[in-house]
Amino acid sequence: MSTLIMIDQPPYSAWTGREALDMAFSLAAFDQPVSLLFTGAGVNWLRQNQEAGGIGQKSVEKNLSAAPIFGVEAVLAEHSACNTYGLDENSLIKGVTLVDADAALLANYEHTAFAG
Amino acid sequence: MTDSSTVSFTLVITGAPYSSQAPQTALSFARATINAGHRIDRVFLYGDGVHLASALGTPPSDEPHWPDEWSQFLTENGVPGVACIASALRRGLVDENEQKRYELPSSNLRAPFEIAGLGEWVEGRVKSTRTLYFHAGD
Repeated sequence: MSTLIMIDQPPYSAWTGREALDMAFSLAAFDQPVSLLFTGAGVNWLRQNQEAGGIGQKSVEKNLSAAPIFGVEAVLAEHSACNTYGLDENSLIKGVTLVDADAALLANYEHTAFAG
Repeated sequence: MTDSSTVSFTLVITGAPYSSQAPQTALSFARATINAGHRIDRVFLYGDGVHLASALGTPPSDEPHWPDEWSQFLTENGVPGVACIASALRRGLVDENEQKRYELPSSNLRAPFEIAGLGEWVEGRVKSTRTLYFHAGD
């Protein structure tokens, strides 16, 4: 039962993104196949060199870089959203696959979920 | 055709009462599910949804008391209600065990809700025919 956890909110605003990440890690911990998809403003999660200390938060980069270690199969980013926010291979963290977030992609997963 | 007697649901509520419609919509769905002869395996509160399990919410007497209505529904139908422990602790929702562990002045978890980990959600997804999410929608 493969699951796609989607994050469509930017980091450091609502807590739903971090809680979506927890959902993905939890599935992986129980050996359930899971991937992450960042869409819309959510692609800003994947930006390199985030300095969240200035607003009293911890950078989400570290959490994300742990995704493969925890067994998350793929970290996917919506290609068009990356273009919108000026993100490319050079400004994204490592290990991200650019995809079209369309019906063909979603058809690869039996379950999809948002944290909020 | 799926045999209707085997259809079961896990409900995930991520929107808080009085901030969002999520708990009401989920309760209407849950009642309809039981009335149709289906089963609800569990209700999992995640994110802001954990506020539904607070014993301290006190809406004005002329407004629906959604936490109380949910408690009654869960008790009457023997449905387990689980609040995610990480979401709950962040938002100040604790049972007696967590109160002792963190030496807090009080606990405030409403019966019959329990506090447990995301593993409960993972298990519900595997066990139930369908898992439905009720979000705040913002």
